[in-house]
Amino acid sequence: MPTVRLRHASEYPEAARALFELSKAWFRYEFDEPPAMSRVMAWDPAFGGPHGRAMKRAMAPGELTRAEKEMVAAVVSGVNACSY
Amino acid sequence: MVVGITNALNVVADAFGDATPDFAALSSDAEGEAVQALFTDIRAFYVCREVPLPFRLISHDPAYAADVWDAVKRAFDDNRLGRRLKEALAFAVSLTSRSRFGAPFHLAEMRRLGMTDRGVMEVLGVTQMFSSYTKIADTLQLEPDMGHIAPVDHSPAPGGFTRVERKAGQAQVNGSSRTKISKGDRRVASRASRISPSPSPAPVSRRAVKKPV
Repeated sequence: MPTVRLRHASEYPEAARALFELSKAWFRYEFDEPPAMSRVMAWDPAFGGPHGRAMKRAMAPGELTRAEKEMVAAVVSGVNACSY
Repeated sequence: MVVGITNALNVVADAFGDATPDFAALSSDAEGEAVQALFTDIRAFYVCREVPLPFRLISHDPAYAADVWDAVKRAFDDNRLGRRLKEALAFAVSLTSRSRFGAPFHLAEMRRLGMTDRGVMEVLGVTQMFSSYTKIADTLQLEPDMGHIAPVDHSPAPGGFTRVERKAGQAQVNGSSRTKISKGDRRVASRASRISPSPSPAPVSRRAVKKPV
């Protein structure tokens, strides 16, 4: 059970909802409801915006492919024992 | 495998020193046929003269060290994933678990295998960003809600067989089963049953396929 009430997408202002569209595009998936993490990040777009841009920059193909970077991300999540 | 064995090496190496002042690691030139054979193999794999600390620590029991080394080599050798990527994963593990031994060791290995500063920065960036996401998710106790977007890989275990889904009550082979399976297929199935405890779903009971009265 989350420690805070996650707001429904419709409870966000228009500017914040733009981040949800970016999530859809990033995952190439039509979510019924934006993922919990997207909704958390959209709470403060002044934080979530640059954080999301940094993530996309970090995950972009370079010397490692996007798939290889997803493996690194999975490893970090695993070592941190993050169930999300 | 890479994550687990990396952590196993880091745990031993990181505990060495302050925590174990009266337990010495062997020298890279330690005597003994088994130890020297092991160290030679390790040096060749890492292209180095000094045998990495965790191996020198556990080589007080050469037979144990040899088994650990076989597992390490198997995990890190080129396979479906390349060795350079595996070193990058081990570097991420070591950073995340704050390993004093692992972070510099796997950084050096990544560089030796051709990764540039740009590549290192990419691994650092992903590690840092997902250390942020995971901490936020854990602090808020977010429940997983994205597992369904990934496709499921239905391929069998290496050398195994694709699982055949059957509905309850459906026979493995309908009709006169012996005549419908070729001798070659029977040989393969027989061999599979010897090398694997249960490579395919258990046969359905004959009673289950009887026609209802």
